[in-house]
This record gives sequence, C-alpha cells and structure tokens, in this order.
Amino acid sequence: MTATAQRRGSPRLSYLLDRTEVLGPMLMAPAILYMVVLLGFPFLLAIYFSLTDVTINNIQLGFSFVGVKNFAALFRDAIFRQALRNTLIFAISSQLLAMILGQTTALVLMRNFRGKTLVRVLILLPWAVPIALGVLGWKWMFDSLYSIINWTLRALHILGPGQWPQWLGTPTLAMISIIVVHAWKSFPFIAVIIMGAIGAIPQDIIDAAKVDGAGFWRQTFQINLPIVAPIVSVGVIFGTVFAFTDMSVVWLLTKGGPINSTHVLGSYAFQVGIVSGDIGQGAAISLFLVPILMLAMVLTLRAMRRREL
Amino acid sequence: MAQKGMSRRDFLKTVGMTGIGLAAAGLSGCATPQAPAATPTAAGPTKTEELKLLLISHFVAGYDDWIKKFAMEWGEANGVRVTVDFINNLDVSARGAAEVAAQKGHDIVQWDQAVSSPFLWKNHTVDLSELVAEVESEYGEFSAVGKQAGYDATTGTWFSLPIFYMAFPALYRKDLWDEIGIEPDTWDDVLEGGRKLKEMGNPIGIPISHGSDGNVNWRGLIWSFGGAIQDEEQNVVINSPEVVEAVKFARALYKEAMTEEVLAWDDTGNNRFIASGKGSWIINPISAYRSTQNSDPELADKIFVWKPPQGPKARLMGVTPHSWTIWKFAENQVNAMEFMRHFVANYRVCFETSGGYNFPMNPGWLPQPMPILSNDPTSNPPDKLAVLQTAPEWSVAFGYPGPSSPAIGEVVSTYIIPDMIAQAATDQLTPEEAVAWAEEQIKRIFQKWQT
Repeated sequence: MTATAQRRGSPRLSYLLDRTEVLGPMLMAPAILYMVVLLGFPFLLAIYFSLTDVTINNIQLGFSFVGVKNFAALFRDAIFRQALRNTLIFAISSQLLAMILGQTTALVLMRNFRGKTLVRVLILLPWAVPIALGVLGWKWMFDSLYSIINWTLRALHILGPGQWPQWLGTPTLAMISIIVVHAWKSFPFIAVIIMGAIGAIPQDIIDAAKVDGAGFWRQTFQINLPIVAPIVSVGVIFGTVFAFTDMSVVWLLTKGGPINSTHVLGSYAFQVGIVSGDIGQGAAISLFLVPILMLAMVLTLRAMRRREL
Repeated sequence: MAQKGMSRRDFLKTVGMTGIGLAAAGLSGCATPQAPAATPTAAGPTKTEELKLLLISHFVAGYDDWIKKFAMEWGEANGVRVTVDFINNLDVSARGAAEVAAQKGHDIVQWDQAVSSPFLWKNHTVDLSELVAEVESEYGEFSAVGKQAGYDATTGTWFSLPIFYMAFPALYRKDLWDEIGIEPDTWDDVLEGGRKLKEMGNPIGIPISHGSDGNVNWRGLIWSFGGAIQDEEQNVVINSPEVVEAVKFARALYKEAMTEEVLAWDDTGNNRFIASGKGSWIINPISAYRSTQNSDPELADKIFVWKPPQGPKARLMGVTPHSWTIWKFAENQVNAMEFMRHFVANYRVCFETSGGYNFPMNPGWLPQPMPILSNDPTSNPPDKLAVLQTAPEWSVAFGYPGPSSPAIGEVVSTYIIPDMIAQAATDQLTPEEAVAWAEEQIKRIFQKWQT
C-alpha cells in the first residue's frame, strides 16, 4: 500500500501524524512512561521509605514516620562515612582511568591496520559481556593463590621471592582492583563515543590543520578535543552517574571487604537495606548522593549548552 | 462506618511492597514482581495441584539433581506439578524481598542462615509449630542448633523448618602434623604447630574476610575462650576480657601461623588452600575434603578430620544452618507441608546424597552410627569421617548462647566479627580497640532492632 493510499484510508490519523505537536509526544510517551514507572515511582518511594522505620519485618504490620532520623544516623556510622569516601574515589578514579583508556583506544582504532575489525570487537567485549562474567574472570586474576597477575610479575622479576600481593586482601590494593575493573568495563563505551565524535569532525578542518603544520599533540588537544568535548561530556556524565551508583563490581569482587574498605554507597545500601532488611536505612544511604549528583549534572549540562552556543 | 475502597495506609503498603520488589529485582537481577496472589480463605489453605520450591544450590555435585528428581517423583505420585528453582545462597534475601513485595512466588524457600536469617522474614512465613510438633512426636526434639534456626522464643512459634546444618570440623594434613609431632587438638596446639608448619611452607588458614567461613570460624574461637556476642537474655556482652583474649590469640595465629592471603579469601578460599597442597589446617565443612578427593585423591588421603580445637573454656564451633519456610501468601501451603513431611521421612537419602555434608537438625532423623560417616568406602581409612558424628556436641548457631534474631542476623551479614579480627591482626587497632569497635557496631544494630 502506498503512502497516498494510506492517507486516503485515514485522513484524520494522517493529519494528526503530520503534526509535530502530536507525533512528538506520541513517540516520547513510551520513554516517559518507562521513566515514571520504573524510575520516578521507585525514587519517590525511596524518599518515603527513608523517612520511616520500615524493615522487612514490619512492612506488613505498619511502620512509623521518623523524619530525618535515618539520615542523622548515617553520620554516626563510620562504615557509611568510609563508603561515601570510597564512592567519590571509586567514581572519579575509574572515570579518569576509563577516559584515558577510551581516548587512547579511540585514537588507535581511528587508524587503519590489519585486523582492525577483530580488535574493535575484542575491545568492545568488556562492555558487552555480562558484568558477572567479566568480574568472575577478574576474580581469578586477583586470586590469592593462583593470581595470573602475580605469576606474570614474578616471571618478569618484578616480584621477588616471598612477594605475593593480595589484590583483594589489603585495603589499598582492593580499592585499586575495583577501580581498575570498573574502568575496564567502562572504557569501551567512552572509546565508541569518542570515535563517533572524531569521525564527525569535518575533514576540511583536519586538512587545514595539517597544512598549517599541526602535529599529533596539537591536533589532538587544540582541534579534536575542543570539537568533541560536548559529545564526550554526555558520555562522561553517563559514566560518572553509573560509577557513582554502581555496586556490582564491588559486591561481586569484595563484598565491601576487607574491613569495609571497598564499600561504596550502592553496596552498603544493598547490604543494609536488602540483606539485613533495614529498608528505611538502606533507602537513606542510597539517596544520599542524589542532590550532589543532580547538581553536578545540571552544572555539566549547562556548561555543555554554553559551549554549543 | 464502612470503609470505601483502599485506605491511605493500605495504599502506601501496596505501593511500598511493589517498590521493594522493584528495588530487589533490580539489585538481584533475578526477580520480577507479579500481580498479588489471592490470600488464603478464612477456612484455611486448600489443596492445589502445584508446588514451587526455591532451593539453594548445593556445593556437592549431584545433590541438586537428586533433590529435583526427588521432588518431581513426589509430585508425580501425588498429582502435583512441581517446579524446583535453584539460587545462590547470597541471592536469597533479594529474591525474598521481591516475592514478599509481589505477594507471590515460591511456596517453599530455603535459607542459609550464614548469609541471611529467615528470622527477618518471620512475619511473612507460616507458623510451622504444628508440623514441628508432629515431627518431634515421631523423631524426638530438634537439636539446639535446630531450635535456634527455626524457633521464635518471643512468640513461641516455629517460623521455619530446620532441615540441616553444615558442621565445621578441622581438616588437617596428617602427614605434616605427624612430621612436627603435634596433634591439632587444642587452640594452643594449632598455634604451636601452625608456627612450625608456616616455617616449613605449609601455613594454616582461617579466613579473615567477608564470607561465611570467617563468620563461623572466629565465633568458634570466641566461644572456646568463654566469650560471646550476646548472652542468653540478648544483652551485648562482646566487650569482655574473654573476647579480648580470643582476639589477641587470633592476632598471634595470623601473624605466626598464617599468610596474608586469608585476608582475601571468599568461601572457596580455604577449600583451594588445602586442595593446593600448601595449606596444613583449616576449619571447614567436609566439602573441602570431598573436592580434593576428586581433584587429587593422593592428597585427599593425607587430609584428616578432627573436632574443632578445644579452647581454655570450651570446644565449640559455629555452623551454617539451613531451613525451609512457607510464605503466608503461598498458594500451595498444603502441598508444601506434605512435601516437608515427605522430605523428613526420607532424610537418610538426603544425607547420603550430600556425601555426609547435610547434618540433620533432628538427631532422630538419622540415628548413629550414621551412614557414610561411620564407614566411608571412598576414604582411607574408611572411618576417617567417624569423628563427625560428634558434631552435635560442639556445634552451635550464631546467636549462642542466646537465640537468633534479626539483630544477630545483621551482625552476621555485616561481617563485624571477621572485621574485628582483621583490624587487630593487621595492627590497625589494638585487640582492646578492635573489640570496643565491634561492641559499638553491634550495640548500634541491637538498639536499632529493639526500637
């Protein structure tokens, strides 16, 4: 059936679909519905729970409004303070590392070489494979007894006799481990965004830069990066928010140990709210960063808009 | 006045439960809330044609296949369509939250109290007191561990049916300990021998990390020194000279007889440690021995089993109790009860299939001499595991000497005891400071659950 025939069949529908003020909301509706039902509703509910003493035990018997008691209790909780610190370190460090890896990968993949397609697929794997599968592999690499990282370092004579780092057993190394794994998981996403952005740079600008004698560094930092910055910023925002709210790497790798030194707010909220059943307290932990994250997002988006203008 | 529609409280309760379901499903990645089920009628649950079980995946290969077949055969014989789903023990809480939220899900749920206490969920589970009374009249009383795992002293009801526990004996390399001329019978023997064996390149190992084994093992040490987390009246008593002494001893054990790797272990760490040939002594269920039998039979012949060490005051060790609950909203409660009866009546097969791993919560289910343990043809010598029959003498559950409770459950799930030991062992805190730190954490949890 042709478009003309369709129009003849339902002129009113056709008229409505031609109007952007109708078609736009119609196309947006599923996304908005999804956000309201699966994000907005649980978010409001979490706020409500955080102001009550609800637990798994009393949820059907009735629970009470306790004001900001759950939030006040957090400041007296040393593990929470540690988790808050860790969240900041984890999110910022893993994003920085992912940015460096993503940028490097993008620059390498922009060049032509044999086997480029295969390399692209392999590099995208960390992002594509289920997190549990990826982390399982890392868990073996960090193993206390059979760590392939340690075996390699020993084979290269970097580790001496008796030296056998416990990647998941000492607080600093465990923190480094979760940051590295998260960066490994995130960098392909950033690389893809940067590749897309660089690919969109008009060729005449690149040619003009080359004619003017711009080298690799000048081209990268004074031409490519300023042009791709607004697009990359979106990736960074996504990545940062994901890093701030992620708990899977921590939970699968260390369960917050050793001595709670790797707990982030997500893992601690899960432990308190779901595993231990204190839903009110768990909700308070999970909501703690929301105002800060929202402010950071507003500022970043505003900065991006200014650049575009 | 007749109430029209839904009250504000009812509305909040409904949306609340749905929200928790969404959160738990999102976090666990394994559950999706469904529409609320019809509540049982006032006349009580009725007979249906279905039964859904959510069971914890077993360490022992073949056990899951057996219990699935066992349940299916029961279903076929009784005209009941049986579904058996398996889940990792760490995911039961999240799944439970989702099912409670949806008021729909499985009929029987298995709990591993080393990671999640069904005590937390007692308001959502069917009172099994009648079933327990029936079982006790036939087989005798449940063990102390069983009572701790399923009995709520405050209401005098049974919120779960204790089914089995995993005992934690000492597994040691007899050849190595014979070489130094020491038998690891007391904690002092373990320290003295461990010191020598570490020098020989064969340290001992107790996990000082976030896992069930560390939670169980270090409690055993504390009880053996006469300390405890709570007393019989549920008062927090951890800050005592006995516990400080136990922590000092743990610090010496770590520094003199272990290596740093114990700080990084998950629950398979000590299994791999003894199976690698490096480890000389661990405290663990016999799964570590069984897996070594498969991977290295020659090494397995050198691994022997003994009671957990005797301390200055007692010989006690924790266990991981497993129990079954039935949701109040379960649609097939009658079938669930009947299947529980059938399971209890056939407990011997369960024990044998688990390779002697699933210790009965009720000694009457499996009178001594116990199969496999008294004569295990796969072990050399065949009576190697016989000492495990003494497990009821030295096994206690997490709340000992008090009852289990949501507070005890949270102390377990937040790994406060292994963390206390870790901080003292790695010199972050003195033993006294570490105990004071643990007391502060535990009191905060107890206070929270009391209010």
